[in-house]
Amino acid sequence: MSTHTAGRRIQPRRTTGVPYVLIVPAVVALLLGLGYPLVWQFITAFQDYGLAQQFGKPPEWVGFDNFANLLWDGEFWAVLVRSLVFCIVTAAVTVVIGVLMAVLMNAVGRTVRLILQISMLLAWAMPVAAATTVFIWLFDRRRGVVNYLLDMIPGVDMNRFDWLGHPLTFFLVAMILIVWMSVPFVSFAVYAGLTQISEEVMEAAQIDGANAWQRFRRIIVPMIRPVLSIVLLLQLIWDLRVFAQITLLKDAGSKASDFDLLGTYIYKLGAAANDFGVASAVSIVVLVITIAISWVYVRELIKEDEAQ
Amino acid sequence: MTGARVGRVALSVLAIVLAIVWIFPVYWMVNSSFISTAVLQQFTPHFFPGEYFTVSNFTGAVADGSFFGALGMSVTITLIVVVVCLIFAFLGAVAISRFKFRGRKSFVLALLLIQMLPAEGLFIAQYKMVSSVGLLNTVLGVSVIYIAAVIPFTIWMLRGFVAGVPAELEEAAMVDGLSRFQAFMRITFPLLAPGLVASGVYAFLQAWNEFTVAVVLLPAESAQTLPLWLRGFVQASATRETDWGQVMAASTIVAIPVIIFFLIVQGRMTSGIVGGAVKG
Amino acid sequence: MKRKIGALAAATAALVVLAGCSTSGDTTDTGSADGQDITFWLMGGDTPDALRDYLKTEYNKATGGTLTIEQQDWSDALAKLTTALPDADNTPDVTEIGNTWSPTFTTVGAFSDISDMYDELGGSKLLQSFVDVGAVDGKNYAMPYYFGSRYVFYRKDLYAAAGQEVPTTLPQLTEAATALHTDALSGFYLGGEDWRNGVSWIFAYGGDLAKKDGDTWKSSLSDPKTIEGLTALQELYTSASNAPVTESDSTPWVNINTQPNATAPEAATIIAPGWAHWSIGDLAEDPNDSTKTVATWNDDVFGTYVLPGVDGGVAPVFAGGSNIAISAASKNQAGARELMKIIFSDEYQQMLGENGLGPANSDFLSSLGDDQFAKALADSAQGSKLTPAAPGWAAVEGSGLLEEFFGKVNGGGDIASLAAEYDQKIDDIING
Repeated sequence: MSTHTAGRRIQPRRTTGVPYVLIVPAVVALLLGLGYPLVWQFITAFQDYGLAQQFGKPPEWVGFDNFANLLWDGEFWAVLVRSLVFCIVTAAVTVVIGVLMAVLMNAVGRTVRLILQISMLLAWAMPVAAATTVFIWLFDRRRGVVNYLLDMIPGVDMNRFDWLGHPLTFFLVAMILIVWMSVPFVSFAVYAGLTQISEEVMEAAQIDGANAWQRFRRIIVPMIRPVLSIVLLLQLIWDLRVFAQITLLKDAGSKASDFDLLGTYIYKLGAAANDFGVASAVSIVVLVITIAISWVYVRELIKEDEAQ
Repeated sequence: MTGARVGRVALSVLAIVLAIVWIFPVYWMVNSSFISTAVLQQFTPHFFPGEYFTVSNFTGAVADGSFFGALGMSVTITLIVVVVCLIFAFLGAVAISRFKFRGRKSFVLALLLIQMLPAEGLFIAQYKMVSSVGLLNTVLGVSVIYIAAVIPFTIWMLRGFVAGVPAELEEAAMVDGLSRFQAFMRITFPLLAPGLVASGVYAFLQAWNEFTVAVVLLPAESAQTLPLWLRGFVQASATRETDWGQVMAASTIVAIPVIIFFLIVQGRMTSGIVGGAVKG
Repeated sequence: MKRKIGALAAATAALVVLAGCSTSGDTTDTGSADGQDITFWLMGGDTPDALRDYLKTEYNKATGGTLTIEQQDWSDALAKLTTALPDADNTPDVTEIGNTWSPTFTTVGAFSDISDMYDELGGSKLLQSFVDVGAVDGKNYAMPYYFGSRYVFYRKDLYAAAGQEVPTTLPQLTEAATALHTDALSGFYLGGEDWRNGVSWIFAYGGDLAKKDGDTWKSSLSDPKTIEGLTALQELYTSASNAPVTESDSTPWVNINTQPNATAPEAATIIAPGWAHWSIGDLAEDPNDSTKTVATWNDDVFGTYVLPGVDGGVAPVFAGGSNIAISAASKNQAGARELMKIIFSDEYQQMLGENGLGPANSDFLSSLGDDQFAKALADSAQGSKLTPAAPGWAAVEGSGLLEEFFGKVNGGGDIASLAAEYDQKIDDIING
């Protein structure tokens, strides 16, 4: 596909009504599905909205109180920092492993590559609920195969080790799970990018005396940079919002807030603690933070868009 | 020469090892699903079903009939979401990649920002909205929510593809006597196929996997989707320990339709993803 | 409420179109239950199928209408009750609700006032602690459904081998459990986050989770008596339990059962709700299905006793169980009231007991039978206590604060400072 990219974009036609007609279905779908919830969330963030309000008591306006309270809430900051660290580490590990896998795919013979691709395709196809359930079973304290295998290593005592019982190992399991599920997407994307690099270029570089690292650094990385940056952005956005995996792992492990990330924290504030005002306020804060993180990228995107 | 050869073999070995590591969880799921619960309850894991082979976990998992209802719900919802999203997103993608118009920038920006909003705090509003129009426990109710959640990314993905197809090609075809529609169908559409596949995969996975919204919008047992059905198996109750054999069988069942779908589209998928990503 | 939703929805033009298709007909309570189709939400799978069928049949006989029973998962129940109960078009007409959540939903007006039925349903014979959590200002909203207070299961063989007697005081229990404890065997298997069982130690030492001071509730974890109980619990946990700090009260009995391939049991003692006894025993192949196992109680190996008090007698344990109430938003009040009558009928109360669920009406306690389980259940129920009837209690539970607090205490944390910390956290939400 990349052969079509450079300089072939046509001058956008300045037809008056057509584009609006074309975006109407998408805009209507977005308004239908998201319009009311978004408006509700924005309003609720400035209200004292609990269970009583849900049952008909008129909500009270509290201005920025919900936000102000967050400022002093140690738990919120702890969850926020934890989520950011988790998101950055997981996204980075995913991208690094994904790129290495792609390079490996590119380096091995056809049969081996096919084997590797099929196993990754299967991992990718696993539904989140099924994958998380399998991981809970793999890391089960009493009968999990991971403890069984690790315990066989001489000098290692992992019998009954409770992976989901300590925040550090809990998030390690969560990270392994998410990396396992996300790497296929990254490596397929990068691999497809690698196949676009012509053999001649690589051979010429080799003849010129460039070693493997130099070739990777000078030729491969620039070629796959666009893929990398978008993949990294997507991983960051997705990993910051990770919800299903953490919820299911928490079901199998601890209920304590030390095991919460932003997604489960917001859900808990709303669904369990019935404090919908604060839950909405946190959602808005998370949105702002995500925008801040990805701002550089968003700005570039808009610029590129204007240049068209 | 031999050094390079050794290196190649070493890489192949590494690749095989990684393939095994990657497939292991999937293998372990399938393996456990064919071993009887009585054997799984023992503390020594079995790496092959062997003499303990049984299909009773599968028959047990689907025995109460709720599975088929859940399968029906999930398939219907997923189909609706994939089809609607692809059509709507395609139109939207054409608009933003082929036309300049007022509000275009805000539209593109909005698509991006919507994706960043945490959805976990929205369920009260989603419930009120869906229930107020009488769509609780219906396919349509959740589909409306899912479509809105999936469309931004699909538009974003597709716009790269649409922009990548040179309009000159289409125009040339029209000069050759094809109508605009024919030109589009014969020239542009095939070039867009990988992009549609990649976006379709994304929409498929989102709709197939979702359960937070489903919990609240599909409270009736008869309206369960597969993730909810699966979750019901995992949870131990006061009277029942988690039946891992059956849970693994249920997980396998939930995964099979996705694997089939992936195998059908896999050839187009990888090129689709990279195509969309490069032009993001 | 409805009105506001409508107004907001109008903001999104497209919604209005859809709202036009809404089919909400407002049929208000006609006073007659004839032909009313109603929905009843059950929480979890504790109510056996036979009882469900009975309710459906009897309801149909009484009204000609259909009773639909929907089972909800405990883990999603709060989110579902919060959204569905205020919604007249989709609310369950009758719902089971965790007894400890009753004050919260009762206070916000989720349930119908059924004070006029109180005597008809059993009156003073109903389990009073459960009635109290479902009452506000002297009016009754939620009624007891069933109870299952907790008692102790132990392995006679392990006790005998270690020369331990059945303890008669709580300190003795800790002593015995500590003596039995090895790296491979929990003298007393108790999850660190298992507050529903752990709270019995607080109650036993005369402490409480929260106290009412005038109109407001205050968390009382720092109360000296509560601290005493927590100290005893921490001692038991650290010196006798191998359970993970993060385990709550899911399925402790898997550790006490005799495994089929002679793997040694991992617990000598556990505490569990009465109905767990169906799952305790020697595990063997299920004769009906060779791929499953079934536990058979063995009197030579297993025994029960009630959790002893600090100075002997019976400790006040946590009164597990459920309440039941009619949704205030239900359009089928008459039908819902019919169902309540069936649930509190002699026959149904009898059936509850026969299935090991403590019946709400004390006249039917005998239906539990006269075996050791029935006796232990009745004895443990004597002094059993409930969580505070505070408006915000469901939020306290839902936030996982208690799991967190008990986990940290049992993890060896400093009790006094933890108690102060969590008193503050709980005070923030306990009053709703």
